[in-house]
Amino acid sequence: MTIKEFQDAVFSAGKRAGFSAMELYVSQSRSFNVKIFQKEVDNYSLANVLGVGFRGEFSGKMGYAYTEILDEDSVQLLVQQAKGNAQLIDGDDEVEIFGGSPDYPTVEAFNHDFANVPVEQKITAARALEESAFAADARVTSVNYALFADGEEEVHMANTRGLQRSFRRNSGACFVMVVVKAGDKVKTGSSYTIGNRWELFEPTKLAQEAVEEAISMLDADSVASKSYPIIFRNDAAGDLLKTFSGVFSADNVQKGLSRLDGKLGESVAAAHVTLLDDPLLQDGAASAPFDGEGVATYTKPVINGGILKTFLHNLKTAKKGGVSSTGNAYKSSFKAPITVAPSNFFVQPGSQSLDELMEQMQDGIVITDLQGLHSGANAVSGDFSLAAAGYRVEKGQIVGSVDQITVAGNFFDVLRDIEAVGSDLKFGMGGHGGNVGCPSLWIKSLAVAGK
Amino acid sequence: MIDEKLISEVILAALASGGDFAEVFIEDTKQTNIKMVDGRVEDGVSGRDFGIGIRIFQKHQGIYAYTNDPGRSNLLQVAADAASALAGQRLIDTVKLDRTTIDSNHKILQLPNGTAAAKKVDVMRRAHGAAKGYSDQISQVTIVYGDVQQDVLIANSTGLLVEDQRVRTRLAISSVASKNGEKQSGFYGPGRHMGFEMYEKLDIEHYAQEASRIAVTMVNADYAPSGKLPVIINNEFGGVIFHEACGHSLEATSVAKGTSVFSNRLGEQIASPLVSAVDDGTIPNAWGSQNIDDEGRATQRNVLIENGVLKGFLIDSLNARRMGMEPTGSSRRQSYRYAPTSRMSNTFILNGESTPEEIIAATDYGLFARYMGGGSVNPATGEFNFAVNEGYLIRNGKIDKPVRGATLIGRGADILRKIDMVGNNLDTGQGMCGSLSGSIPADVGQPMLRVSEITVGGRKEAE
Repeated sequence: MTIKEFQDAVFSAGKRAGFSAMELYVSQSRSFNVKIFQKEVDNYSLANVLGVGFRGEFSGKMGYAYTEILDEDSVQLLVQQAKGNAQLIDGDDEVEIFGGSPDYPTVEAFNHDFANVPVEQKITAARALEESAFAADARVTSVNYALFADGEEEVHMANTRGLQRSFRRNSGACFVMVVVKAGDKVKTGSSYTIGNRWELFEPTKLAQEAVEEAISMLDADSVASKSYPIIFRNDAAGDLLKTFSGVFSADNVQKGLSRLDGKLGESVAAAHVTLLDDPLLQDGAASAPFDGEGVATYTKPVINGGILKTFLHNLKTAKKGGVSSTGNAYKSSFKAPITVAPSNFFVQPGSQSLDELMEQMQDGIVITDLQGLHSGANAVSGDFSLAAAGYRVEKGQIVGSVDQITVAGNFFDVLRDIEAVGSDLKFGMGGHGGNVGCPSLWIKSLAVAGK
Repeated sequence: MIDEKLISEVILAALASGGDFAEVFIEDTKQTNIKMVDGRVEDGVSGRDFGIGIRIFQKHQGIYAYTNDPGRSNLLQVAADAASALAGQRLIDTVKLDRTTIDSNHKILQLPNGTAAAKKVDVMRRAHGAAKGYSDQISQVTIVYGDVQQDVLIANSTGLLVEDQRVRTRLAISSVASKNGEKQSGFYGPGRHMGFEMYEKLDIEHYAQEASRIAVTMVNADYAPSGKLPVIINNEFGGVIFHEACGHSLEATSVAKGTSVFSNRLGEQIASPLVSAVDDGTIPNAWGSQNIDDEGRATQRNVLIENGVLKGFLIDSLNARRMGMEPTGSSRRQSYRYAPTSRMSNTFILNGESTPEEIIAATDYGLFARYMGGGSVNPATGEFNFAVNEGYLIRNGKIDKPVRGATLIGRGADILRKIDMVGNNLDTGQGMCGSLSGSIPADVGQPMLRVSEITVGGRKEAE
């Protein structure tokens, strides 16, 4: 069955089954990855997959089902299961299959040149990661990840209310992780690049960064337990923001799972903090012209000058809140029901470099790595207590490295306690739930546990 | 699923350019997830995952390709594309598949796929009622029901052809307690390699009340102290410490490449003599069990540590080549979208001699981690962190007030040596373990045990 034949079959079976509106979300993707270990190709993988998500309105409720096989059995399975699932729902939220926005922005996320990069060139890049890492320092004992991966995905949405939209993107990633050893001290360091322009990938530079970071941690020690002024370096700041990005979702607000409930128009962060959701960002990993419900996307500040301006909405939360969708309906894959998530979500950079922030802070700790974000952070209360590593700063200069500490605080307090925002905006490695980025953030003070 | 003749042809196509082993993994999975928030079903999703993974080895090198178009021409093309990553002459030109049938060690009485959705929702309502009714301070309860039926066929160039069915059922219960604008959450997620009969065997109301009890206790708790303290880690999900801090470093994934702290250390004393630990994928109907691993090898009970001495690793067939050791039935994957590798199944520390009461009574001042949260570890350095979901201070040999927000950090190798008391109340808890080959169900477990000193990260200074 072709996709079009399958779609026609599902929509007519669905109509007979009593659905008042239906939608298919078809994802077709290809991916590649290669991993080098000790000069050999250690892992090489290829994929081409298709997935179809179906949803439909049945008696005012939304039922979902999905399949990875396009055959007659699947037509029946999608319709019957989605109907069964719709009938289970006893929430009273209004749901809607969306007929389309008047206009859609143009987002170019597919680079043909990148799609045509030969496999050999990608393998060479992965090899260069490993070679450069060993060449960078004699204390490198192993390079446990030297990989290049890329992929492309085309999403096609079609529904019985007239929506018909497609979007295609491609992207690649280079990742290196090194192990260094001195005496009985072992440390790791890693770095990555993500994008769809080949010139972004600089394996030698990437390997050197990972090695430098690992070597710099070899003399790390814990510090005395007390409160310190803290700078979260851009990557650590981004990890923290990503962990708590759900507090800006209207869905969580309406369910009483966000402490920002009732704070629209109020100050929730330091006055120099602006937080943007920008689905149109050039080269943004989450840039797209429409969201998971087919609603046109647009750029907006969520926090502007410290003031909370909006929550992120899909159609359901917007209707419930009496506002318009902000184009933040999120479908993590063709299988998933619609939720809410940011697109490219970042704190607008300030003017100072990390060095300048340290100079201003004078004494404190720069946190470069946070661990345990999925377990040591309470997204509801905002409390966190996370394993961390970084550098001790005295008189504005790095004087040594720090590990085996935890840094603890509350996200909502951190927003208010941001003394300054750096200029070094960096986005994280992606994954589900939005593409989150942040510059380095200098925080007044946080509790550190160590010795 | 796909006929045996085509499977043989695909295996042969994959071996065209020097591969010395090829494998086909076919998966047909049906799953259902239903989410209930505050007693109302918010959404239900069900569907079918179907795909084929083709894997080729040439010495230490692994090639993997997957697709979900089972058509003959596509499968042969995918096999050929994968083979083209290798250079060499064909080594194997015949494959004779010999079907093995499994006598399942994990009897399934009621396939969830054939169970009425209304019965699933009834179970959720029971859990919701028990969790919500626990206290006025419970402001929200979320229940996620999940069941999976995974049918797999594994065939390879040695002639193996085997099919297995894995059926898993789980209920995840999250309670949020509120007090003066503060919110704290509690979680319990019982699951088994079982059908819908799980709900007759387990006391779901008990788990729901526990989730709420944790949330209420924590919302009324003060912040945890920070600093180095003796820590008593409770049984059951407390075993996450061993899973994270030690188990991952015993997986061939890191051991084979010499990047684990435990590489080349078999026979050495790596833990306190009080510690013995196993990984056992054979336990009937346990969450992390299955008849065969995802390479088609029978699962087994692997002794990892005996009286503190390192006895074994968890080894998949590709890393077995690198290590010159036998595979241990430990190769697992989330789905056909992942090449399998060495992973844990049900991993736990065995019973010791002390009673829980003795352990607490022997502790002057410290932290009692009654219910652990998740955590993570860097296998190269052994550095781990994990959250304490429900903690208490211990004073003068007695459990004192509850404390919240504690995180434990350290190095696995140090903690193993600092275990100075091991209890006699071994029990297990369920988790989803994420690593190279995806997210897979795994049991963690241990009896109550005491570590003489761990760095506790909290928001207050230690007394």
